[in-house]
Amino acid sequence: MDTRPEPLARRRQFLSPDVVRAMLEGHSALGIAFAALIYVVCLTGTLAVFINELRRWEQPDAPVVAAAPAPETVAAAFAEGYARARAAGAAHDLFLMGPDAGRARLTVFARGAQPGAEGAWVADAQGRLAAPVRAPWTEFLAELHASLHLPGSWGGLLVGLVGVTLISSLISGLLSHPRIFRDAFALRWGGARHLQEADLHNRLGVWGLPFHLAVSLSGALLGLATLIVGLLALAAYEGDSEKAFAAILGPMPSEDHNPAPLPDLAAMIRQVGATRPSAVFASVTVQHVGTAGQVVHLGMRTPGHLALSNTYYFDGAGTALGEGGLEAGGVGQQILGALQPLHFGWFGGIAVKLAYGVLGLALSYVAFNGVTIWLVRRRAKGRPAPGWEKVWSALGWGQPLALAASAGAALVAGAPAVMPAYLATTLAAFAWAWMARDGRQTARALRLACAAVLVGIVAAHLAVWRGPFAEAIAVDAMAHAVNVALLCAAALALPLAVPAKARGR
Amino acid sequence: MGPMPASELLTTAPALLLLAAGLIALRRQWAARPGGRPAFTLAGWALIGLGLWAFVRSFGAQAGAAYGPLALSVLAFGVIAAGVQKRATPERGPRAAALEPQERRTTWARGIAKAFLAIVLSGTAAIGLGLAYAVAMPLGTHDRIVIGGLLVPVLWGAGMAWTLCDARLLRATIVLLCASALGYGIAFLPKAFA
Repeated sequence: MDTRPEPLARRRQFLSPDVVRAMLEGHSALGIAFAALIYVVCLTGTLAVFINELRRWEQPDAPVVAAAPAPETVAAAFAEGYARARAAGAAHDLFLMGPDAGRARLTVFARGAQPGAEGAWVADAQGRLAAPVRAPWTEFLAELHASLHLPGSWGGLLVGLVGVTLISSLISGLLSHPRIFRDAFALRWGGARHLQEADLHNRLGVWGLPFHLAVSLSGALLGLATLIVGLLALAAYEGDSEKAFAAILGPMPSEDHNPAPLPDLAAMIRQVGATRPSAVFASVTVQHVGTAGQVVHLGMRTPGHLALSNTYYFDGAGTALGEGGLEAGGVGQQILGALQPLHFGWFGGIAVKLAYGVLGLALSYVAFNGVTIWLVRRRAKGRPAPGWEKVWSALGWGQPLALAASAGAALVAGAPAVMPAYLATTLAAFAWAWMARDGRQTARALRLACAAVLVGIVAAHLAVWRGPFAEAIAVDAMAHAVNVALLCAAALALPLAVPAKARGR
Repeated sequence: MGPMPASELLTTAPALLLLAAGLIALRRQWAARPGGRPAFTLAGWALIGLGLWAFVRSFGAQAGAAYGPLALSVLAFGVIAAGVQKRATPERGPRAAALEPQERRTTWARGIAKAFLAIVLSGTAAIGLGLAYAVAMPLGTHDRIVIGGLLVPVLWGAGMAWTLCDARLLRATIVLLCASALGYGIAFLPKAFA
């Protein structure tokens, strides 16, 4: 972080100026090396906060299930999901997810023993499967955030490393900021650009710190979990990762693949409800479904906790095998339960999600303008890097544009068009930067394009779901809310695309 | 957990007011240069503490501890936005001077060595210490493993920050190698000798 000395004060500082300058050098080096990755992960993470709303926007004709489903509804959806999964060769593990704030869906996911064999369906309020899940852009976004679409475990590890670099940047940023309290509310706008950008960088970085730490720590742990658990298995579980995961996540299925009846989920839900009357169904996972070795992880949510649900374990015959303690167990169990909701802001409804949206954008901007400060400082010292200024503008505004273009492509042309649209738009942004006069012109044109594409997406969505060919389709109200949000985003991007002089400043 | 019901939103209002009052008191104190009243600093932090406590009181320890800091961050952004100083010309004078990062002469070999220390060796040491905690601490299984897991990114990040700012590569190498030996020793040696 940039900082300013206090020439009049003679108070003894916590760290000497030399240490602060060395810390600033490390902070700059780390930022320059990882800023692009941190920015992409933070930007996609900010959008991923609203992933349930975006799923509903992509498939607005799917049934809305707002209230927690009855036990019989869950059982019916599970039975039909199993039948469909068998037909699709994907009946190895089954996962049902019930409604939650913003989700309003009852969804069945199936995964086969072979890679690629899978299926997903949306059920209605009676537990009848109504349609296959169709949300290609949301899935693309989730994958981009979680693994940058890299193969195997590499993507998760790289995103985990990005989380670590973010933690490191927060530590070095704080330590290189001796006037952290004095300047805590100072924001100079206009005048010297590097001071304006440094003020923004420091204010957004410091006051958003609890959020920045929570998401980077939880994200790093989620990304590095495979590596950490793999080594833990070597140290304490005879090299068996499944045993290590079982110690954390609860009983795993046995390898007895003899056929067995499906578990009676309704009875299990009622059994939990008998001891916890306020608990409602959240999700259920049945691994090795329909075999003698199957095991049930039933998620039931009670109010007042951060965890999405507590997990109750059963064998296939309905015998209780214990619980995960994610809501009210030990410290480690509660942290485990809180990791995902804390990372994505999935607790407390839309107010918390909006706060996460604001803070996520702030973190994305902090990652982005750290490099801007470095570039502006170089220019001020007479060593400008105009090529890098254009490249950085192309990345900063090219990514929102590429994400918007890929969403539009998904809407118009479906799943196969998403990745090509994202990559082509990203390349086009860099190509435009190559041709543009400078970084500012690059950014202005990309902001304008971003606003135009966002408006185009809303128009396309209305045409597909409300146009003359689809008048009879009932559209989920959430789709309208997302369209309004997209128009607001376009309205925010548009003024930024107009030069300050043209705005009379 | 689900969305906040209206009654809980009502109980949020006093907590938000306390946080906002605390932030405004701090802003008033820290904006006064030089001088100001230290009482404002104390009052500001006390009001913020009360606001965070009010969140915990209204929503319970788990949810309240998550809502409070979130609300504080967003309100602080609001207080900063309300106090923006608009300037038409570049600032001059000592207050505009910025402490610059050190610019040490470096080589490719030194850069690669630093990257190795920050990414590979810091990571190796952090994972080793996290593993040692997860294996050897006399706590419940979940507590050991989850807290040990959380230690990994924190220690890795701290090691990265330290190695990137420390000019003495040999010192950093020795410390990180010792930390790795300690961590993996605690995690693996008891099993090897069992």
